[in-house]
Amino acid sequence: MELKKLIRQPAHLFLSLLFPAILTLTFGFVFRDPELGMDLNVLIPGLISYAVIFIIMTIAQSFSTERQEGLLKRMNTTPMTSAEFMGSQIITNMMVAILQVIVVFVIATLMGFRPKSGVNGIFLALLVIALFSLSSVGLGLITATVSKNPETATGVSFVFILPQMFLGTFIPITDTTRQIAQFIPSYYVVDALTLIFGGDWTNANILLDVSVISIVSVIIVAIGIMLFNKFGNV
Amino acid sequence: MSSDVQGLLNQLEKKELYELAKLRKINIPAKWPKPLIVELLALNVSKSEIQNRVTTRFEARITPTKDSAIIIKDLVKQFEDVTAVDELTLEIREGELFSLLGPNGAGKTTTINILNGILQPTAGTAIVGGYDVQTNLKEVKALIGVCPQEAAVFQFLNARENIELFGKLHAVPKKALDERTNTLLELLDLAEVSNRKVKGYSGGMLRKLNLIIALISDPKIAFLDEPTVGMDPRARRATWKFIESLKNQGKTIILTTHYIEEAEALSDRVGIIDYGKLIELGTPPELMEKYNAKNLEEVFLKITGRRLVEGM
Repeated sequence: MELKKLIRQPAHLFLSLLFPAILTLTFGFVFRDPELGMDLNVLIPGLISYAVIFIIMTIAQSFSTERQEGLLKRMNTTPMTSAEFMGSQIITNMMVAILQVIVVFVIATLMGFRPKSGVNGIFLALLVIALFSLSSVGLGLITATVSKNPETATGVSFVFILPQMFLGTFIPITDTTRQIAQFIPSYYVVDALTLIFGGDWTNANILLDVSVISIVSVIIVAIGIMLFNKFGNV
Repeated sequence: MSSDVQGLLNQLEKKELYELAKLRKINIPAKWPKPLIVELLALNVSKSEIQNRVTTRFEARITPTKDSAIIIKDLVKQFEDVTAVDELTLEIREGELFSLLGPNGAGKTTTINILNGILQPTAGTAIVGGYDVQTNLKEVKALIGVCPQEAAVFQFLNARENIELFGKLHAVPKKALDERTNTLLELLDLAEVSNRKVKGYSGGMLRKLNLIIALISDPKIAFLDEPTVGMDPRARRATWKFIESLKNQGKTIILTTHYIEEAEALSDRVGIIDYGKLIELGTPPELMEKYNAKNLEEVFLKITGRRLVEGM
């Protein structure tokens, strides 16, 4: 059902797949400048992270719409448990995140991106992204809980999107902003992907990055599920 | 004149209304809804008549048997300072088509939402199909089908896909799901448009799809909340015929409606609800005979002094 939603709803399709593709092409051609330190090796991890961050908006819009249309209430009258429902949302969005990585990766490869990671590194990158998508789902649920309707959800989602965009994607950060960035999940995603694609995928920092991403994502998604079930569901 | 007095009384706080009632030596129970207190105090009738209306509290005689599909005892639902369901007590028998009739805001949908597990009651108990909604909700959900007031369907799917989705959520086996989907689509005249996306459906078609989804799991107990709203008269009568056929299959149906003809045409028994309270219960002919009324609208008028439509 979620895949059908993706294909049949233009806004979802755009945000999930076309937006990352357009972003990769735009930044890959227009903003790529080795003198500025903005070559593909720097851009691609950030663009992947950027794409997954927008799952916050699609989840928030989706849940707000379904609540507004009485669909969540209706699904609540079936034997399906909340755990099953949330589980299906998490798995679907992990798959969307992986699809996004593939889209960005294919376009980047066509543009000359040559990661030094090998196949094992690619699988590790996919794991990192799958874990990161959990935090996007959680933040999307938190957004849907506090938003009365999909329009509000779109606006509120930027509260979580913008800090991650500016502090944890491909936009250069200073030493000062790095202090703040260390509290942002996407910072660790970009760090991990940069090391992996740079061929340094056995670097111990990757273990730290993956640990932080896992713990933070699990906590955020648990909070999101709890808040939505308690306050946002009906 | 009465509406002028009501207007003045509405400006008072609830505490002040109770004080006024005390001055008139009228005992009004605690936690009565403010609109009801205002209405009573504004009536141009004797004090004893008012007291009679206050103290006559309709109680449905409950004698639960193995044929009881639903048992509700002293059910209360409080939302901040509004009592939406006020000590409702009721028994609905298996295989019965029971209508909850009342104006908008009477508490019909709130009652249904408690019985299907959407809302938790503030107090009291509700047993559906032998299971308590507060402790065995999963078992309750396996027995019921719900047709909500709003047409809750996925707009980007077609009718068939919507039905199949909800069928799967009810764990209906594939073969049974396909057969039942085809049968229900035929019976409700949606077969020809079943592969069209729901986004282009008319209001009446959406209501029919809503009803099909509620029945796809072949539930023992079906809650139909205003199922024919938005339908043209021809479609409404066809849907009534369909709902009657469900009764003939032995299903228990709880219908909420503010269409008098619908309640009269379909119901084995009717429960009239106003301000969260059950104010009358019986078969349509019994109620009409008791109140010497031509229809249930007149029954409501004689009980409350208001028209059912005015209450909307």
